[in-house]
This record gives sequence, C-alpha cells and structure tokens, in this order.
Amino acid sequence: MENKLLGLPAGFRDVLFDEAKTRRIIEGKLAALFSAEGFREVSPSGVEFLELYARGNQNSRGRAVKFLDRDDHLLALRADFTPAIARLVSTRLATAPPPLKVWYAGNVFRKVDQKHGRFCEFGQIGAELIGLNSVERDAEIINLGMHALSSLGIKQIRIHINHAGIFRGIVGDLALDEKSLDLVKSEIDRKDIRGLLSRLQTLGIAPETRAQVSTLSTCVGSEEVLRTAAAAMRNDESRRAIDALVQLSSRLERWRDCITFDLAEIDEMEYYSGVMFTFFNPQLTSELGMGGRYDTLLREFGADMPAIGFSFSIDRLIESV
Amino acid sequence: MSEKILIALPKGRLFEQTLALLARAGIHADETHKGSRRLTFTDDEGRFEFVCLKPVDIPVYVESGSIDAGVVGSDILRELESDVYEPLDLQIGKCRLSVAAPEGMTVSYDDALRVATKYPRTAERYFRSRNAHVHIVRLDGSVEIAPLLGLADVIVDLVETGRTLRENGMRIVEDVASVSAKMIINRTAMKMKAGPVSQLISQLDTVIYANT
Repeated sequence: MENKLLGLPAGFRDVLFDEAKTRRIIEGKLAALFSAEGFREVSPSGVEFLELYARGNQNSRGRAVKFLDRDDHLLALRADFTPAIARLVSTRLATAPPPLKVWYAGNVFRKVDQKHGRFCEFGQIGAELIGLNSVERDAEIINLGMHALSSLGIKQIRIHINHAGIFRGIVGDLALDEKSLDLVKSEIDRKDIRGLLSRLQTLGIAPETRAQVSTLSTCVGSEEVLRTAAAAMRNDESRRAIDALVQLSSRLERWRDCITFDLAEIDEMEYYSGVMFTFFNPQLTSELGMGGRYDTLLREFGADMPAIGFSFSIDRLIESV
Repeated sequence: MSEKILIALPKGRLFEQTLALLARAGIHADETHKGSRRLTFTDDEGRFEFVCLKPVDIPVYVESGSIDAGVVGSDILRELESDVYEPLDLQIGKCRLSVAAPEGMTVSYDDALRVATKYPRTAERYFRSRNAHVHIVRLDGSVEIAPLLGLADVIVDLVETGRTLRENGMRIVEDVASVSAKMIINRTAMKMKAGPVSQLISQLDTVIYANT
C-alpha cells in the first residue's frame, strides 16, 4: 500500500542541513546587498486569487496550484512574485513616491511535468524598481543583478540581453490575427529559421519584412550585432529598441565581457515591454534567473507605472556557490 | 559543461539515416560501436560524443540539459510538448501521423469515437480542434490491431507507406500532421555552447538544403 504517512507528494522535497544553510547564507548576502542599494523587503501573501495570474502571463495561470476557499473562490498558491508585487503597488503602495524599490525572497509553486524530474516548489529571490523608466534605471537593475551574482562568488557569469520592442516593431505592421501570430512566435521560439521563413511566406508576409526577421535571428553576440540589426530594421519601434540597447550597453561597460546581445529570442513570459535579460552560469544546464522591463503590466492592476525587475532561482544559486 | 557537444541519436528506424546524414556533413561517427554494447562513442575529430537512446527518451534528456542535442521525430516532440530549440528539420524519417479506420466504416466525428493511439496528447489536441469528443485509449504498439479486436473505433498512428494499414484492413481517414526528424538543442547549451552548436547546425544545414 502506498505510504502517505511517511511519503511526500511527487514534485516536492525536504531541504536539510548544508543545503538549507547555503540557502540562508545566499539570502543573507543578497538581502544585505539589496538593502544597501536602497531596496526594501516585501513578503507577499502565499495565497492569491487565481485571477491574479490571468493577467499578462497566461502560463502561470495554467500552472498554478489551485484550490477553493470556503466560499468557492478559486485560489492559488503563489505561482509568480511579479503579479503579487503589481497587486501591492496598485493597492497598499499606490501613494508611495517613485521610485519604489523592493526585494523579496520566498517559494513559488507551479505544476510541472513530473516525468521530467522537476520540482513543483522552488525558491526565488528578486528585486523590482517601480515608477521610473530610463536607461539609467535599466542599467541600475542589471548592475544590481550582476553584483548580486558576483557577491556570491560565482566566477563565470553570463547575461543575455534583448529588447521586447524589436520583435514587437516588426510584427506591429503585419496585422496578423492572434492564431497566426502564435504560429510565428512558436517558430521563432524553436529557432527554426527555415521553418519560420516559410511560415511567414505562407502567411503572405512581404519579403522585406521576412528579411528583417531573418537578420534578427542571426543577431546573437557582442555589441556589433546591435549595429547589424539596426541596419536591417525598417520600422521605428525596432530601431528605437535597438538604440535603447546601445545606450544601455555604454552604461554596462564593466560587464562587457559577460554580455551577449541576443536578439533572436522572444518574450516567453509575455509581459515584458522593454529590455529583457537572462543570467547564466555556463557550468549549469539551466539559467540562474531572468528579468526585464514591464511597463504595461501594472496598468492592468490599475496603477499605470513603469517597472523593471529580475529574479533568481535559489536552487540554481545554491548549485553555483 | 564541457566544450564537447553531447548528442543523442535515436535507436531504431532513424538510426542509420542519422549516421549517414552526419557522415555527409563530414561528421564521421566511430563505427566500432557496431556489435558493441557500449552506449556512447565519439566522432573522428573528437568534437562530439554520441549517446544512443530510445527516441522517446531523447527530448527528456535534452530538455533537462543532461544532453546538449539530439535527433528525434517531430511526432515525439509534439506528444511530449518538449521545451527545447528545434533549429533544423533534418528531412529524414518523413511520414504522416494519420487518423485511420477499418475499410468500409463511415467515420463521423459526431459520434463519441474511441481512438487507440501511442500519441494520446496529440490525438486529444487534434480532435478538440475539430470539436470532436473522443475517448482516447493509450497503447504502446501494434495500434492497428485495436479496431479489429473491438478496443477502439479508429486509430491515430504513424503512416509511412500505408502497407501495415492495408494488410490490417484499414484506410487513412485524414492526416493529423506531417512528421520528420528534427535536430533539437537544449536551451542553455544553445547559448553557452553557441559556437560549436551553431557550427553543427550550419554543417548539417549545408548538406540537407544544398539544392534549395
């Protein structure tokens, strides 16, 4: 008989001794760094209305661990910190003078495919800067993330940087219906350039637009790819986005060797509006964390404020130190 | 992660074709694996290490990052909904995933059909997109026998030549998807081993699409 007294549900685990100690040390170091930089800790509720995750990010709604309260409201265990921060900013922190700088650490819960050996509960630690949109603030947040990783003694840090406006600018003029746009996005997400180009052709997209997409898919590398991309873009929004990355790049000189501009990627989370980035440790098989600017998400919660932030996976940080 | 690229090769129907394709691209996999029970071997230049795996396991390894890259049929990728890059259609192992029914049976999606298949998720997605309500029976092989034995009304299965279907008194109703082998790459390996990975992709791309 299955032993439910002494077992654990699939996808969950206990953290003991050394790992628990390392986790506490990491959180302590990052807490000190974040507060030295003027970020204040928030600890959002562990349970939300499921509705919170229906905005901006369809993925987290589907993957949330759901249950009913006694009035049959659909609730979810915390599945993502950013929407919770958005809720806080729109309610209790609505009158705070910008910029609002907060950090958080805690666990999130998502249903994942168990046969891949992944866990449903994992720790995240992150920081958000709300109320201001400027290239200086973008640089401030990326700097904070890079400092956080180097303060933990992680030797090889890589960051891949992109801007949501580049792809948005290209598809903006296409007038694709939602279904076609999803197909195009999934081809881009597979990085199958031939498949993408033939899909665009089938959808009747003009050759010059196909050429923009094709160029973009090769733009992965140092600052030089920004020039390549800028030369290929035929719309203002993409050009402005690339220009924003050029300006950002000049403010991140000290991390030059760690930076890859990766314009071939799309926004999987579907809530980024500007710069977006992913942190890697080349020794690991998955990313350390990610972040980006989400200037339109807060509007959906009634607070029309720009924001940028990032979060790290605590498990990946533990593996790295 | 080491700089050597670890590639999963599918045992079974795609294995020889994959080795042949690699050879055409100048990647000569050590042939001494033949008759050996060792599961890994390297290419002549030592750039790659190969692991032979059951096809259905390959996306799982590649998604987790235990293996950098792999060759696997798109039928399996869609079924597992694997989160990996698929930069290249290898144009081998081409076939169709089709709905098939016994000869003489009139198939109507208005009835609650019983569907036997090795691809329950794909089949369910497909019939839902057709607004058809079906009952999926998941099987692991010899799916075409299920209607004969009364387990299901129709099947969803791979069709290469159609011979197996004919010999079991079945016909194709319609195609669900066209299938071919894909090169898949782990999401982190694509970025952290960008140089060697893109070289591999372009080497293969050159020979596969030489005439286009």
